[in-house]
Amino acid sequence: MSLDRLLAPLVVVVGGGGVGKTTLAAALGLRSAEEGADTLVMTFDPSLRLKDTLGVGEEARDHEVTVASDTPGRLEASLLDAGATFNRLIERYSPDQQAKERILSNRYYHHLSGGLSGILEYMAVERLFEVSIAGDYGRVILDTPPTREALDFLEAPDRVIDFLDSGVLKVALKDWFTAEGRLKPAARFGALGRRFERLLDDLVGLELLRDMAEFFQAFGPLYAGFKDRADRVRSLLQSDETLFVLVAGPGEEEVPDLLFFARRLAESGHRVGPIVVNRVHPRFERRSGGEVDAADGVELLAWLGERDHAGLAALRELLSAEQPLAALPLMSEAPTDLGGLSELAEELVGRLRS
Amino acid sequence: MKPALFDQELVVVTGKGGVGKSVVAAALGTLLADDKRVLVLEVDPRENVHQLFGVPPSGGEFVELGPRLFLQNLKPGQVIDQLVEEKLKFKRLVKRVLESPIYRHFAESAPGLEEMAVLGHALRALRGVSPKAPRVDAVVLDAPATGHGVSLLAAPLLVGEVIQHGPIGGLTRQVSKLVADAGRSGIVVVTLAEEMPATEAIELRAMLAARLDRAPDLLVVNGLYPPTTGALGADRASRLWARRRQLNERELGRLRREWPEPSVELPLLPLDRGEELVAELTAALRQQLVDGKSG
Repeated sequence: MSLDRLLAPLVVVVGGGGVGKTTLAAALGLRSAEEGADTLVMTFDPSLRLKDTLGVGEEARDHEVTVASDTPGRLEASLLDAGATFNRLIERYSPDQQAKERILSNRYYHHLSGGLSGILEYMAVERLFEVSIAGDYGRVILDTPPTREALDFLEAPDRVIDFLDSGVLKVALKDWFTAEGRLKPAARFGALGRRFERLLDDLVGLELLRDMAEFFQAFGPLYAGFKDRADRVRSLLQSDETLFVLVAGPGEEEVPDLLFFARRLAESGHRVGPIVVNRVHPRFERRSGGEVDAADGVELLAWLGERDHAGLAALRELLSAEQPLAALPLMSEAPTDLGGLSELAEELVGRLRS
Repeated sequence: MKPALFDQELVVVTGKGGVGKSVVAAALGTLLADDKRVLVLEVDPRENVHQLFGVPPSGGEFVELGPRLFLQNLKPGQVIDQLVEEKLKFKRLVKRVLESPIYRHFAESAPGLEEMAVLGHALRALRGVSPKAPRVDAVVLDAPATGHGVSLLAAPLLVGEVIQHGPIGGLTRQVSKLVADAGRSGIVVVTLAEEMPATEAIELRAMLAARLDRAPDLLVVNGLYPPTTGALGADRASRLWARRRQLNERELGRLRREWPEPSVELPLLPLDRGEELVAELTAALRQQLVDGKSG
């Protein structure tokens, strides 16, 4: 079966940490290129696992690098860089050079772009949007940040809009500080004002407040463009162009989280594609009926196989019959080259069909 | 020799998602509670550590698990709110501040503040100054996944740069001291003997040195398949066992070469997540760390 029937032009791979998301994203990317679509795989993982598997190095950070896949479609990979993406946004929406420099040199901005979780997630979708507008690829596959709260990722555009709308901006745009960096209203109100200033300083530090106020003042002219952009990013995630692939580990413990997430995705207007349960232990006959001997690997594997299949059965029970679901068996080793990735994709597509 | 973490006040357990970090934190907390009062602190809005001890979710409250063992799930915002409450004595004012969207956004977006709040909470529990909280001798922190584990420890440096005064400034200075002192705080890295998790553990070790000038105190290699014994059958199960164990041994070899600090090895067990699993792993840790059969 061709991926066109299973996936969309934009594919977002989501799931908890350590479930093999990155490898599956890479495998789907390779398969897509094998089928002739020019494909980009973007990963956001700070530990940069994709580069190991695809054989691309640090040069792929914030750049698309061609993978030597020798496929009918071109396969490219890139490592997302939140800071660089944020900087580009600022450059795009700054009315002039001065406004841009004011923001880029602001200390609060550096903290913001340096690694806050919401910003990381937002920059991932922002980059997806950038790439999809450019239209250089038939398919783009985004491997999402390793967040346990995968919902953070979806809600990132909303949170950015919410933040910009919250009045923080309006308050910050007022002229709060005197040239000496003192709080203006405090100066007007004498002793009471000075107490208020002390309280603020005690709680959060006036210096940080000054940095933040400066940041939002500098950000003011960019506001409209930025908000409009966040709205469009949100629409893209909810459009027919985009499909979410959910990846989870095996075992009954995973089922509630997986179902919860699938439901939330659908309820918030997103398209849920295939659900992949990864690294399922195969089923083996037990040697004896008694207690499992932990030192006997065969007994242990049989127990793990039972556990994983019980989880799968529970999941199947709870999903609708139309929901595509693939259980991928535990492999002796994760693929470390393109050949292995290709086999993994073949296995995945094969299991989705049946 | 017992690793330093038996004498430390704060033990941060970190590692990539899916390696069994919470189970190891629970087992380590149980072991340390052999002879002192220990708080296992979970920082994850979706609680799961309580299941490992067979108790209901903590919902932010302290749960007594044994004579010297406590559990708490912490929402970082809680700590910052508490500081506001203590500072502003007037209830009405407190309510207005806490409900204002500007405060909410500030508390959520100020760089490093949430992470600082978690560490600050641990410190307050150690000092016994936290209202409603028992005083403990050590806190075992089940930290968020790898990258975040480092940002957690780096947070006091970040916050200290911008907030120098008041309750947060003071707390930040004390937390910075605690985190910088290898005698008082320790870092435990949990991994699996598989290629990607082992690579990440080694990267994490380098990151700790670069950003915090700290070395981890202990490496816990979790979920090892049992060593193969004698003549294995040619059936599929035996072959899979042999291959998985072989993979484990290859990665164990690499970890031993690149990880000079102490390490322990924990077996993959035929047990669901729960009390029995924690008890078994605690026993394995005790055997290797206390009875001196360290890997």
